[in-house]
Amino acid sequence: MALELKSSDNKIFEVEELVAVQSETIKSLVEDGCADNVIPLPNVDSKTLELVLDWCKNHVDMKLDEEKLKEYEDKFIEVDQAVLYDLLLAANYLNIKDLLNRACQKVADMLKGKTPEQIRETLNIVNDFSPEEEEEIRKENLWAFEE
Amino acid sequence: MEACMDFMNWLDLDMSEKLLMHLKDPSDLARVSSVSRSLRDFVIANGLFKQLCLRMFPQLSKVAHVMELNNCGVKEPVEVGSSHSMEWESLARDHRVYATLARVCTSFSLRDCISEAISASSTDNYPAETIDNTLLPAGIVSRRAYWSSKGQSNPAVPETLTYKLVSEFCVITEIYIRPFKAYFQRGSPIYSAKSVRFRMGHPKSPNDLGSHLLCDSLPSADDTFIWTYTSPEFPMAQESCLQKFRLPEPVLCIGGILQIELLGRVQTQEMDGLFYICISHVHVVGRCLSPAFVVENIQPSGTFVLKKDMRYKFHTQQSSPDNEAQEISDDQLQRRFRYLRNYLRNLNVIEIEEYEGEEEDVVEIEEYESGEEEYESGEEEDVEIEEYESGEEEDEA
Repeated sequence: MALELKSSDNKIFEVEELVAVQSETIKSLVEDGCADNVIPLPNVDSKTLELVLDWCKNHVDMKLDEEKLKEYEDKFIEVDQAVLYDLLLAANYLNIKDLLNRACQKVADMLKGKTPEQIRETLNIVNDFSPEEEEEIRKENLWAFEE
Repeated sequence: MEACMDFMNWLDLDMSEKLLMHLKDPSDLARVSSVSRSLRDFVIANGLFKQLCLRMFPQLSKVAHVMELNNCGVKEPVEVGSSHSMEWESLARDHRVYATLARVCTSFSLRDCISEAISASSTDNYPAETIDNTLLPAGIVSRRAYWSSKGQSNPAVPETLTYKLVSEFCVITEIYIRPFKAYFQRGSPIYSAKSVRFRMGHPKSPNDLGSHLLCDSLPSADDTFIWTYTSPEFPMAQESCLQKFRLPEPVLCIGGILQIELLGRVQTQEMDGLFYICISHVHVVGRCLSPAFVVENIQPSGTFVLKKDMRYKFHTQQSSPDNEAQEISDDQLQRRFRYLRNYLRNLNVIEIEEYEGEEEDVVEIEEYESGEEEYESGEEEDVEIEEYESGEEEDEA
């Protein structure tokens, strides 16, 4: 059975139910009998939705092949930071656990091993500590900065 | 669109938390906390370091509260007229304590964590075959130094060996056991057990460990201790080599008591037809977290107070325990050597071999996985220590 999903920019996607219900959000709608018409997804744009649906489809297709699936996931998540954040938000809104975890892990990997200054650069965060505060915090956790 | 996003603005708080929880390394979380005030406040407000520690060591769920001891060794007083609320102070303290705890739990040096033997469930020929024999240094092998259980006609009767650890707060990673091979008996039988399991916990009442009674029969260990952790079961090899049992995850032992449960007897003694278990060596590897951290007020329910001692130099380059802990180790060793010396004086026929290269001869055992009894061996050699002696020395000559 096929479902119709509408992105925030009004593009319609026709998807197999089996693929769409990877999203717990959509699954609940189907179970509640609200999926007869087009399902609007005002929080996801078409570009992101297309990616998300690709993820879902491949997870159905490659369900039994763990190695192939991992290869796909690793390649899938190599995206720009902006796209990554869009995927994170969509995965959260649509409640797709494995996509959410993978995206979170990807962001965490971006932060691993970086100094606070590098993290600021990556995430575009302003350093709002005074020099004294910064020194005190550094001293508190000196071990983290010795490596 | 900008290439770099401040995700705190982009994502909601729930998502930010999920994200930061994917940082498994305490150093990464510490560095993130130093990026900006809002990030630091976020980490503190959501207790992310506490959550990190709890994930690594579920045993910490029993922490009633934490305390910091300042440079005078007393609890830090609450600042009068402080602009921060009590609740925030409490969260900030949790943050500092758990951040340091996460660090020490993963970086302090690994060492032998047994301080002394407490009791065995049964002992044959006490005191010759006492549990103390299991703590003689592994490098020195005596044909007569081993612990033996009493004989049983039913092979299903288990035995337990209970030990006190070097501190009430240790992270335990692996346990080594060497079953005993009776060279003086026909066929040189090996008195191993079928499988083994480990428990950790604390004394029911602090006074119970007052005098270490190593008597023939004693009150059941179950009456004296409360166990807060039980490991999975590991198969034991029917070999007299040093067998390594690696816990699936490092475990925080709160209370300093470790018990080895030997399940299923395998070997009968020809003389009486009874089943025995005999062990020649035990040691427990882990990290001693005292005196940097101290636990107190361990209740029967298992809850306790966790104290961080600020006098301890956490910031030194060397992540090794300080002198106080080292002294304990030397003291233990001295006691054991003295014990061995006395032991040797009482027996006339002893052979002692110096044993090097212990690591290669260790057989590593994995826990049971759904009833399978496989194990991996480190090296293919079947280690018989006495054979090593005669072979090696001839080569060197």
